[in-house]
Amino acid sequence: MRLFFAIRVFFKVLFDAATAGRIESLLSGELPAPAAAPPAGPAEATKQRQTPTSSRSDALTLLATMQQEARFLDLVQEPLGEYSDSQVGAAARDVLRDCNAVLQRMFKIEPVVAQDEGTECETPKDFQPGRFRLTGSVVGDPPYRGQLTHKGWEATTCELPTWSGSDLVAQVLAPAEVEIA
Amino acid sequence: MTAQYALGIDLGTTNSALAYAPLHDDGPRVELLPIPQLVSADTVESRSTLPSFAYLAQSHESGAGSFDLPWAAQRDFAVGEIARRQAAEAPDRTISSAKSWLCHSLVDRHQPILPWDAPDEVPKISPVAATQRYLEHVIAAWEQAFPDAPVADQEVILTVPASFDVAARELTHEAALAAGMPESLVLLEEPSAAVYAWLVTTGERWRHLLNLGDTLVVCDVGGGTSDLTLVSLAEENGELHLQRLAVGNHLLIGGDNMDLALAHHVAGLFGEQGVDLDPWQSVSLWHSCRSAKEALFSPAGPDSHPISILGRGSRLIGGTKSVNVERQQAVNLLLDGFFPHCEITERPVRRRASGFQELGLPFESDTAITRHLAAFLGAHGGDDPIKPSFVLFNGGVFKAEVLRERLLDTLGQWFPDAPTRQLEGTHDLDHAVAHGAAYYGWAKRHGGVRIRGGTARSYYVGIETSGPAIPGAPRPLRALCVVPIGMEEGSQVDVPSGEIGLVLGEPAHFRFFSSPVRKQDQPGDVIQAWSEQEIGETDSLETTLPPVEGLEDNYVPVRFQSRITELGNFELWCVSTQSDHRWKLEFSVREDAEQ
Repeated sequence: MRLFFAIRVFFKVLFDAATAGRIESLLSGELPAPAAAPPAGPAEATKQRQTPTSSRSDALTLLATMQQEARFLDLVQEPLGEYSDSQVGAAARDVLRDCNAVLQRMFKIEPVVAQDEGTECETPKDFQPGRFRLTGSVVGDPPYRGQLTHKGWEATTCELPTWSGSDLVAQVLAPAEVEIA
Repeated sequence: MTAQYALGIDLGTTNSALAYAPLHDDGPRVELLPIPQLVSADTVESRSTLPSFAYLAQSHESGAGSFDLPWAAQRDFAVGEIARRQAAEAPDRTISSAKSWLCHSLVDRHQPILPWDAPDEVPKISPVAATQRYLEHVIAAWEQAFPDAPVADQEVILTVPASFDVAARELTHEAALAAGMPESLVLLEEPSAAVYAWLVTTGERWRHLLNLGDTLVVCDVGGGTSDLTLVSLAEENGELHLQRLAVGNHLLIGGDNMDLALAHHVAGLFGEQGVDLDPWQSVSLWHSCRSAKEALFSPAGPDSHPISILGRGSRLIGGTKSVNVERQQAVNLLLDGFFPHCEITERPVRRRASGFQELGLPFESDTAITRHLAAFLGAHGGDDPIKPSFVLFNGGVFKAEVLRERLLDTLGQWFPDAPTRQLEGTHDLDHAVAHGAAYYGWAKRHGGVRIRGGTARSYYVGIETSGPAIPGAPRPLRALCVVPIGMEEGSQVDVPSGEIGLVLGEPAHFRFFSSPVRKQDQPGDVIQAWSEQEIGETDSLETTLPPVEGLEDNYVPVRFQSRITELGNFELWCVSTQSDHRWKLEFSVREDAEQ
């Protein structure tokens, strides 16, 4: 289930610069509880950088959308131990397909390098360090040549829904559903 | 204020879109407007289209502000994506296919009848009012993005199905004006807009792709409706232009029917496993089938594709059930159901009309689009069916290559000597109509090839024959042709006929008929007998003649005069044969009951 882990990491990197910096240690360490991610008093902290009507973090709105359109939370919250791979796969296929649709719509995610992995790759002479991670024996000055082991991902846009609900329900990612007979 | 933009608005049965082009640019630069809309309560997101659905809030929802938009507060309804989602969970409170109701002349489109069959406690609205709400939303989205260019000042093009008759066009026009669109609004036929979109993407190259005399059939299959139109390349005074030759009937059949058919098939597969689906799961299955269609229909797709229904509660994995759908079986199901091979002489199978007809939407009894196409080509070709040189596909359904191939294949069997080919060039199947409409608005200023055609139908006023009355029997009805097929915009015609007597101070009421096929009829022709397939009744026309001062006799002999305005609006006038007086006839229902 590394894929789900990768998705979680993706969100952390996207919304939390500090986490992005510690990504290496995160990968080898334990995941923090997702609910702990927003700092205390998210309403005050986020109000300044968002539209005045929104009282919750964009990260929560994104999670709510992933749940509504793709059942993302239902999938990652469920303990996997009791199910076979085929059961997990059957459910995950639909969830992943719909997650992808949401992510593509909001972020239009594209590879950083548009060539096949395993092929020879050359960095530009003056590249931003954040665009390439160089491994192996790195000597001399750029441009560097080497084999592309991961083509990278980048969001080419970032268009999130805006949320304008009451502060009282700002933390609700999916309402409880009650069917009235 | 002069217009800065041409706005092309595609008011679709299931999705609406707005494209725009700056009028001052020398070349057409058409863009699609992202439309902010509610996707769930309190959550607004921009999407490229606005689903044409309206949700009427429950009492605990309205007033909570959950349906607020950047430009509207305290709404008790919502349109767009949130309403489309509600269609599954609260069908009683959700309006869909309002556009199909607009052209359904058996009901009064100004009465609050939607959601159809909803219980009494749901506050209903009329098809015209629903249409107005969709348009208001699109306009508000535009004005939020372009506050310096109010819609009322722009060049606005609104598309309608080619098969809409004058009454449905009039209702659309009325909803558009009520929503705040300018009087200069132009109604453009959707298949024509699709052709214009093709012209934009091909640029000047189209002159090499089409030759003089070539005919083009536009096959537009939307979510809920299908539309067929025939266009040919003609020449006049050395100038090439496109001529619209014919349009088909309004067919209530589209991509949604295909998703449902697939879902029905898959539900059967679940049934074989002993899994019975509840209503919620059935809706979820419909969604899964829609998404799976793409994988199933791609030629390189896997031979079988799993379709799952996720567990309803938060126990997602444990509650998930899945079946394997054989690709070939699913493909055959849709091909045989909607695009079966057939002879060009075959015709759609008509349901025997029973004495009692239910009033709901008149869905097609024959879902075979190929048979409807055969009937269309047969009806417009004279002795032999018309042989189109090209087909232009439109509508998201045709993203599936197998469907395009099947249609081309069928046309190839009908015309083995010179098979119809797909029109070259890229085509955005989902947004072409809005794009083409915006281009049309731009081309009105800058020049460019135009599609001509005039009215797609001929129109008739019902005249009762005079003669001794027979008790219990209606007087025989004749149809007096007042508008011929192909009557051009900006023209008028005095209809030769005997004098028709109207009484001042009393309402005059005329039954009104139309035909998409009777090309031979000219104004003044009186048709004695016809079949229902040939001439159909539409909304009746009426006027009340106010008493005229100085006129002693209150009986006025009149003749008809019909006009098609420059903007394509139809008008029928009663002109006195003895004085200068004239009276305009209106479609019978004028007042929206709730307003």
